[in-house]
Amino acid sequence: MENFQSIKSEQITRDLLPSGFGLRGKIWTALLILLCIVGAFAYYRQLRHGLGVTHMGDYVSWGIYISNFVFFVAISLVGSLITAIFRLADVKWATPLTRIAEIIAVSAIVFASLIIIVDMGRPERMLNLFIHGRIQSPIMWDVIVISTYFCISLLLLYFPLLPDLKILIRFKEKSSKWLNKLYRFQGSFWKGTAQQFKISERAILILCITIIPVAFCIHTVTSWLFATTYRPGWDSTNFGAYFISGAFLVGAGGVVVAMYVFRRYYRLEKYITEMHFEKMGKIVVMLALLYLYFNVNEYLVPAFKMKKPEEAHLTELFTGAFAPMFWFAIFAGMIIPIVILLFKKGRKPLTMFIAGVMIVVGAWFKRYLIVTPTLLHPFLPMQDVPQSYHHYFPSWEEWAIAIGSLSGALLVITFFARIYPIIPIQETITEQLEKEHEMAGLETAAGNGNALSGGVISQHK
Amino acid sequence: MKKIKIQIVIGLLVPCLLAGGVLAAQDQDSVVSKEVVKLRYFNENNGMQYLLLESAVKTGKKLRPQVNKVYQLYLDSNKAENLVTKVYTGGDGKAKAFIPPALKTIWEASPKHNFIAVAEATSKEEETSYEFEMARARLTLDTSTAEGVKNISVLAEQLVDGEWVAAPDVEMKVGIQRLGGILSAGEEETYTTDSSGTVTVEVKRDSLPGDQKGNVVLAARVDDNDLYGNLLATKTVPWGVVVQPESGFFDQRTLWSTRFRTPLWLLIMAYGIVIAVWGTIIYLAMQIVKIKKLGKEVPA
Repeated sequence: MENFQSIKSEQITRDLLPSGFGLRGKIWTALLILLCIVGAFAYYRQLRHGLGVTHMGDYVSWGIYISNFVFFVAISLVGSLITAIFRLADVKWATPLTRIAEIIAVSAIVFASLIIIVDMGRPERMLNLFIHGRIQSPIMWDVIVISTYFCISLLLLYFPLLPDLKILIRFKEKSSKWLNKLYRFQGSFWKGTAQQFKISERAILILCITIIPVAFCIHTVTSWLFATTYRPGWDSTNFGAYFISGAFLVGAGGVVVAMYVFRRYYRLEKYITEMHFEKMGKIVVMLALLYLYFNVNEYLVPAFKMKKPEEAHLTELFTGAFAPMFWFAIFAGMIIPIVILLFKKGRKPLTMFIAGVMIVVGAWFKRYLIVTPTLLHPFLPMQDVPQSYHHYFPSWEEWAIAIGSLSGALLVITFFARIYPIIPIQETITEQLEKEHEMAGLETAAGNGNALSGGVISQHK
Repeated sequence: MKKIKIQIVIGLLVPCLLAGGVLAAQDQDSVVSKEVVKLRYFNENNGMQYLLLESAVKTGKKLRPQVNKVYQLYLDSNKAENLVTKVYTGGDGKAKAFIPPALKTIWEASPKHNFIAVAEATSKEEETSYEFEMARARLTLDTSTAEGVKNISVLAEQLVDGEWVAAPDVEMKVGIQRLGGILSAGEEETYTTDSSGTVTVEVKRDSLPGDQKGNVVLAARVDDNDLYGNLLATKTVPWGVVVQPESGFFDQRTLWSTRFRTPLWLLIMAYGIVIAVWGTIIYLAMQIVKIKKLGKEVPA
């Protein structure tokens, strides 16, 4: 039996160990690097010539950069959903998805921070936030909560990675010299003792408990950047919950897309099964309905009252210049995915992938719609201003930086999947063994996860 | 029968619509765009003289400002030595130009002047010029108090043969300068100078808020006079009510105060949360150190 387990473990390990890029992987990575370089060049131009290279002005002072920031913050919330909430709720089926969710969270939060610095125009002014920061300002809360969430997400990525690092060190012939050096630096001290497992499990539990309120804070505070003003479209008590529900949806959509891509590219059909898509599909439907509910609250109630300052803003969204984008975000981002995923056939990998892409793209445009139309509808009428102030369309530099940042986030995920196992190897082995023990009627296995994990590791030594 | 009625209605409607369309098209053709340029002269407190050029295009009843249009402004004659300046109109179609010291001799030489604005010829437009004639004038504002009654007297003068003489029949506003304009000091909206060029107004508004010393700014202003242009004279007098800013307003601990005056409840709450969460993060980082130590204790 021991021998059988060892063979099974070896198989799982071989399947899940990171492998080099194939041709498609290389093209994908090259494309992302190219987009990042174009973005970096555009940012160089912005640094050299100032924010004048953007099409932001006196009215639209928060353009595509802040839309992108809100999008990144939103998608980062998925780390807390998949990792923390599912772990605390003892949802075993989500194990293969935890690392995907966490790396999406980490990469998104890194680029959320960077895009804010880009929006500031002069990056050295970031220091002023710490030197002259006022704790009364929601911007200050955002800076604190983003850095906190980044640290927690990083720890939540690192602790479960420790046993896998040991496996990676063991299979050193599969990796290059510098990767082995990196693995050893990060995890050579992990011996897989019961004591180490105990500390690690406890740390993960604390992190899971801590990350949920912090994740809620990060998005609530981001929503307060808008909601603490009186502006039409932002002056809402609904905003915190509205943002969080939207963030859960886009995060879950992002995970579905990543699940499909990793499953196909790394041939992980045995680990990310149709069952995972089926269950994620149900979750996505629930989250989409929840977000739709908040959208109804957010738009229907002000539209029913049609207060004068809100009127121009809402009309512009419903039937005006922003209407195509608005209805696209509502239909592509919520209604169509709900319709697709309500049916069992819709919860198959490919249809789920399509629905996931629609949710993510719809969510990006939704953030654009939250930021820009409000700025084009100030309380005082726009008088004696150049015609260009009445409209906003990002300059090529803004597009390049925004696309570059999105590519950067994808590049982090791509490189992470190249360097580390995208599905936790050790946890998968443990769960596989638990299942087999359960099936074999071994009662002790189910309640003694830690000890068992230690045992499996000792087999790897 | 019903069919015939419909046919009659259609038969009448179609020619009417066609005729309407043709007329509308003709009307459209007859609309010609015309450039409207206005030159205005300003003299503030007899010290600062400047010109304001307003340029627009009139199409039908609509007036559209001409943006970024170039004009050369001249004094008396459009020769190079008489050039005031070259101006570009802004987003509102307006451009401002101060009379340079280089033209002092020409300015002093005559009591009347002619300002000329020339728009140079372009590939689309011919050269156009506009003129504005004005006579040099000045306003002097003085105050007096007799038996508790405060008076403002304004003297309007024009330059004739090198001498300042009274300018009668000049309409002006006399009052107290407020944020939105001049608040009339008396009961009339405007006043006109008598034969001695003087206007005397009794100040009825004696309880207007002033600055910290009770100062208010009295003003007399002539708007777009055909002969003299725009004239303004001001004088600061302590006739207002002293307004002291609420002491300690900025010392309050509020959400809009500086970072040194943060409300205590917010400080406690924010730092409490930050310390709790970062305390946890530090504790967890220490757990990594602990795991590392345990790893070193295990023989390889």
